[in-house]
Amino acid sequence: MIITNNDWVLYKYREKFNVVYIDGTFKDVLIAVRDRLHMGYELLTHPLGGSVKPGETPYKSIMVSDDKKSISFSSIYTIENAIITYDKFNKNKLKFINDKIAEDLKLIDLTVLESALNI
Amino acid sequence: MKLELGYIFIKDIQFSDVSKVEDGTLYVNKEEVKALILEDEHFKKAEVELAKPGESVRIMPVKDVIEPRVKVEGPGGIFPGMISKVETVGSGKTNVLKGAAVLTTGKIVGFQEGIIDMTGPGADYTPFSKLCNLVLVCEPIDGLKQHEHEKALRFAGYKVASYLGGLAKKLTPDQVEVFETPTLTEGLKMYPGLPRVAYVCMLQSQGLLHDTYVYGIDAKQTLTTFIYPTETMDGAIVSGNCVSACDKNTTYHHLNNPVIADLFAEHGKTLNFVGVIISNENVYLADKERSSNWSAKLAEFLGVDGVVVSEEGFGNPDTDLIMNCKKIESKGIKTVLITDEYAGRDGTSQSLADADALANAVVSGGNANEVIELPPMEKIIGHVEVADIIAGGFDGSLHKDGSITAELQVITGATNEMGFNELSAR
Amino acid sequence: MLKIVHYINQFFANVGGEEMAHIPAEVREGVVGPGLAFQQAFKGEAEIVATIVCGDSYFNENMDEAKSTVIKMVKEYQPDLFIAGPAFNAGRYGVACGTIAQAVKDELNIPVLTGMYAENPGADMFKNTIYIVSTKNSAAGMRDAVKKMAPLALKLAKGEKIGASAEEGYMPNGKRVNFFEKDRGSKRAVKMLLAKLADKEFETELPMPDFDRVAPNPAVKDITKAKIALVTSGGIVPKGNPDHIESSNASKYGKYDIDGVMDLTEETYQTAHGGYDPVYANLDADRVLPVDVLREFEKEGKIGSLHRYYYSTVGNGTAVKNAKGFAAEYAKELKADGVDAVILTST
Repeated sequence: MIITNNDWVLYKYREKFNVVYIDGTFKDVLIAVRDRLHMGYELLTHPLGGSVKPGETPYKSIMVSDDKKSISFSSIYTIENAIITYDKFNKNKLKFINDKIAEDLKLIDLTVLESALNI
Repeated sequence: MKLELGYIFIKDIQFSDVSKVEDGTLYVNKEEVKALILEDEHFKKAEVELAKPGESVRIMPVKDVIEPRVKVEGPGGIFPGMISKVETVGSGKTNVLKGAAVLTTGKIVGFQEGIIDMTGPGADYTPFSKLCNLVLVCEPIDGLKQHEHEKALRFAGYKVASYLGGLAKKLTPDQVEVFETPTLTEGLKMYPGLPRVAYVCMLQSQGLLHDTYVYGIDAKQTLTTFIYPTETMDGAIVSGNCVSACDKNTTYHHLNNPVIADLFAEHGKTLNFVGVIISNENVYLADKERSSNWSAKLAEFLGVDGVVVSEEGFGNPDTDLIMNCKKIESKGIKTVLITDEYAGRDGTSQSLADADALANAVVSGGNANEVIELPPMEKIIGHVEVADIIAGGFDGSLHKDGSITAELQVITGATNEMGFNELSAR
Repeated sequence: MLKIVHYINQFFANVGGEEMAHIPAEVREGVVGPGLAFQQAFKGEAEIVATIVCGDSYFNENMDEAKSTVIKMVKEYQPDLFIAGPAFNAGRYGVACGTIAQAVKDELNIPVLTGMYAENPGADMFKNTIYIVSTKNSAAGMRDAVKKMAPLALKLAKGEKIGASAEEGYMPNGKRVNFFEKDRGSKRAVKMLLAKLADKEFETELPMPDFDRVAPNPAVKDITKAKIALVTSGGIVPKGNPDHIESSNASKYGKYDIDGVMDLTEETYQTAHGGYDPVYANLDADRVLPVDVLREFEKEGKIGSLHRYYYSTVGNGTAVKNAKGFAAEYAKELKADGVDAVILTST
């Protein structure tokens, strides 16, 4: 499943994958992923994929397994570390994102996700 | 494999009617370079500018930096798989215009990466302020898709660098340096008493503006593999990575890999530099596991005693770095890691996004979050108004007088994780 | 000329050793003892106008009073900088130096500097809030200490920007600062690898966060049959503290027999711990060492039994190395005595 707040990802992949759309911030996506990992879903892509920093983009898409298994400690460790890392970045830049930039950021998030979907 | 690098030292760069190299000056025919760029129909306009050390010039946003080189003798051509055929490079003779560079700039996406100041405090943080730069400012045709723009710009850079390199083909170098890597069996016989060392070079590979190419292949698609150190000197590895200016490896970094240079300096003396392992940094976690499993397996297969591991990027590559470290250490092979830090503006946050007690030997390229004040420059090549939006910039970055307050992140090559610079942190 | 006030203990002031550790703080004009070495190193740029001499026991046992007295003394001189120590490996001296330097910084707002050995308990306590120069572990390292401390002292006194810990010689304080090394990173990496391969000493530029994870043991299978022991760092000892366990920076622990003891009382037990208000623990030590409750559980069959011995030390500024050492000893004995589980109380 893809957990994302990027509507481009939702529209492009809603038929092919189980897309969970979060109408919220980058952190909301991280939290949604974390919650599922504690339920036993497995983390498939790194929550901090791509080099655009958390303080620079509001968009994030993360892949998680469709099925629940037993809790993977390494997944939990990774998501918790990602949340800690997210919090240390200054988020002021997010106020300056106009439509064109938002589009570009959505594109980057989409292409980083696609690198994992093998597309 | 043996390669002779012939350095032609460039101390100045000028525009002229005839492109040539004479007495340490690189003369460039501007119109020929523009025409070369415009051969690609994706560009509607091209400008070519000069930026020399000490000038009050700011270049932004920088995409890639490339050094002009040319194959003089031996198989293949510079940038195999890109603008040359895929024939194996790294042997014979290659000439280098040392002290010159081609810079590509352009607004591919809204957040702009990379500032280079040719003078002032910012100049201390980038190696490119010390070079004679030919800056390409290319305007894409309307409606050009970002990935096509990125590709066109990338190739423009290689073409121009190759064109300039070609000017050195018949010249006698000012200095020659020879690099030779024996085969594994030869090496075992030659240096039986020396510790065997390999270099694990991690390559960014995560999608648009995040890619690296090896002989023209997208590193995302590769399994961890071996390469001769000298192949990199002929451009076997090139950068399509335009995000995160401070810690991305430009093509210039790949051509001038400092770990390779410093390992060669000790080769045959204090260590046996066996070879280079290249490994990618994909986003898919299973890919990370696979790549790092292979790094450890290949290191063991090579029979090395120790490795230097360099990273590219921040965040999830820290996970690749730690995986490589743990798995290689658990094979009984000692590791030293080179990375940079994102310790927050006050330097108190945890520097890496991942960690492990086994990573007990780490070299740091500095804290990329440290804030720097860049004074106004007389000339801007590129687009200054994007300062507020570039990586590391923040509210009020660009001041009315043209000065910029931003994090080190914005400066191209500032915290390079191949250990190219002297910058560090404690 | 910059003015400096120097703080030293009774030993370095040549007043005496342990037997004189009780002397209260007093001011002397000019330099005393190691102050002379500092003065020489300042080469006329700064002057130690006064030296405050204070006994380590006096300071640690009368901390509030000692702090306020010393601060008053320092204030008189309006110095540009306050230096304490160096304390090398003397634990109580190190804690005193750190404490008083911190207090002077907080209340008088002047720059402060101290020095001590990395393992001195005062180091961990204060290195993140004040500059502490790393010294050797004994007074034989005085010259080395002054050499490192003097330049940093002058910089602090002048209000100059302080660089990275590796450049300036202070203990890494959790704040990463950029600076330019002489060699490039790749060269430093190759050097580091050669040292690591030769099993020689090297220093990492980026220490990993302290993991010290202890994997929890599996749960006790049947608590009603288990032998439970009590171990504390809350300093609960038989009344009179027969083993003289120190109130801070403990160098020992006690093993006490509570066979037949159902309840700890004001007459029979007390706390030796100097780091918390002792009133309630002295009135009823069960509050820190729950012997009474465990005896009840024993009677009710909720636990198998309460082990006859308990182990106690004082966890106030105790060096990690010491704490680890004590625990290794009691762990062996507890295991040999067939103890199934331990309740650890601390404060």
